[in-house]
Amino acid sequence: MRTFLRIIGVLVVIAVVAFLAFLFIPVQRTPAQAALPDSWTPEEGQGEYAMRLGDCMACHTAPGGEPFAGGREIESPLGVIYASNITPDNQTGIGGWSLDDFRAALYDGVGPDGTHLYPAMPYENFGRISEEDVRAMYDYFMNDVPPVDNAVSETALSFPFNQRWGLRAWNWVALSDAAGFTAESTDPELSRGEYIVEGPGHCGACHSPRNAIMAEAALDGSDPQFLAGGEIAGWTAPALRGPNSAIRGWSADEVAAIMGTGRNAHSAVNGEMQLVVQDSSQYFTDEDLQAVGAYLVSLNDDGPAPEVTDDGATEALLASADPSMALGARLYLDNCNACHFANGQGADEVFPALAGNSLVTAAQPTGLISMILNGSELPSTAARPYRLRMPGFAARLSDDEVAALASFVRQGWGNAAAPVEAGSVADLRDQGDAATH
Amino acid sequence: MTNPSSQPPAFRTSRRRFLGGTASVAALAGLARPGEAQDQPDPRAALDGYTPEFLSAAEWAFIVAATARIIPSEGDGPGAIEAQVPVFIDRQLAGEFGAATDLYMEGPFVADADPNFGLQTPLTPAEIYREGIAAFDQWCQQEQGSSFADLDASAQDAALTALSRGEAGLAPEVRDFWTHLLQNTREGYFADPMYGGNAGMQAWVYIGYPGARANFREWVGRDEPYPMGPVNIAGERA
Repeated sequence: MRTFLRIIGVLVVIAVVAFLAFLFIPVQRTPAQAALPDSWTPEEGQGEYAMRLGDCMACHTAPGGEPFAGGREIESPLGVIYASNITPDNQTGIGGWSLDDFRAALYDGVGPDGTHLYPAMPYENFGRISEEDVRAMYDYFMNDVPPVDNAVSETALSFPFNQRWGLRAWNWVALSDAAGFTAESTDPELSRGEYIVEGPGHCGACHSPRNAIMAEAALDGSDPQFLAGGEIAGWTAPALRGPNSAIRGWSADEVAAIMGTGRNAHSAVNGEMQLVVQDSSQYFTDEDLQAVGAYLVSLNDDGPAPEVTDDGATEALLASADPSMALGARLYLDNCNACHFANGQGADEVFPALAGNSLVTAAQPTGLISMILNGSELPSTAARPYRLRMPGFAARLSDDEVAALASFVRQGWGNAAAPVEAGSVADLRDQGDAATH
Repeated sequence: MTNPSSQPPAFRTSRRRFLGGTASVAALAGLARPGEAQDQPDPRAALDGYTPEFLSAAEWAFIVAATARIIPSEGDGPGAIEAQVPVFIDRQLAGEFGAATDLYMEGPFVADADPNFGLQTPLTPAEIYREGIAAFDQWCQQEQGSSFADLDASAQDAALTALSRGEAGLAPEVRDFWTHLLQNTREGYFADPMYGGNAGMQAWVYIGYPGARANFREWVGRDEPYPMGPVNIAGERA
């Protein structure tokens, strides 16, 4: 009995020591992935371009706020996370951070004092950013970004998610891949595209599914889970590969067009992707846009484009203007047909096609319902400056009407998604009202 | 519900048959049928629930009576009363139109200048209505012995005809009264119901106008009636 108690006692001591070690021993930082001479300096504009590739601006700038001064509310399944101030302000920003501190934040999600960052910071992906880009970005933030004194609200998640040591455990399990980037392909364009998509572009942060512990299910293109579709703020981030790929059948040029301008012949960006185009991808060079396009298309060459199963019945019904048509079709004629047309094809570069549209047919109709209720406005880009806008129909349509309309477009022109319940519409309408009041 | 706008203009049914076939519209607006006025509710009852914002009781009585003669209920199609045109006019006079918000209202004013010089009155449309109704009613009192609203239909028609010809003795400052009244009656009849008139989109149903739908690409060049009823800006269907 005494022996047994002694063993238990020793185990408890070991557990406590291990836990304290877990809490207090500093995290090992990932070193630089390439040796650059100390004298290396970025070319003019290289740092800002690396920042654009990483889209630091979208999250670290509050709506209407100073660039990079933080404060944007990032919705996460765990609660609201406030983006930090990453201007070089000494008190409230990252002034005084060393290059190693900066790299550790990008690669390991660790602040200079060892505090773990919330994984809203996509360090899972940023571990693939090249040392050159890390150095260039560091140079940009330290020397080109003006410091802004802006103390950001503390993120206050509920227990246990407010225990930052838990993130260490999470990182331990989640970050299985070592830092560093190795391209699949020897083709320079494809490998450049893969670098941007997997690394600084952190496309997988939204477009890859999350696993049981909410980590990205895959971090590189060799895994079919990578970019197989995810969710962001309740909206579906569509699959970019596989049978439900939103870009199946698109050319590299068409991918490049929607990344560079926000729209192409098929579609237009919506939801969070509008911020990506506005603050990041519209600044990509034509070569980089083509590289991203070529790489994403290469993930979709594993089968023919899905057969179009539209038998023309939806278009015929709408074109008939038959007063006895069901409510959903009637609402489409009254509210949508003027721009998206009876054939559901919209107009190239202006009105997105609804037939085969990934937002329309997403398993979760949140994005579609939100689009109908609140409308959408495309970002202004250098190539397409006009902010094309779809109006919201919240004032014009009841919950039942929105549900009937959404169900109609989810099942028209060969679309085959589940119908929408009025209750889902009511929930989203309440959220929208709460956000604006 | 059968939709009268499905009939091409050449074959459009008479208003009587239209009413018989659209009982729900009739119930909605409290329409009266010609020749059956004795056992039908007065169409003006539909206006009873409305409290005018701008017009006084006497002015309201005038507008109701005048618009009822400009687009009568006994003709082909709904009348101004069924379409609640007086509501439209009252709300316009209470709003920016009445206050001349969009008009140039600096002098000099030469009210009796040739009409080719355009609007010359110092009065806002709301003031033109107010002074015009008072002056015209006084003229009716002198000529016919009663205010306009209390005249019988044929006397009202004669008075309005005189008014339209500038023979009702109105001062130059209010000489545009008839022009406004006629124009605003038409507007109230055909404008979107959000402005108070065209109740239940009756005027649109009557002429087969589909309202705020905006795209009829499949119907261009087809020599057949467009069957779908109208939708208004608020999204209501008729």
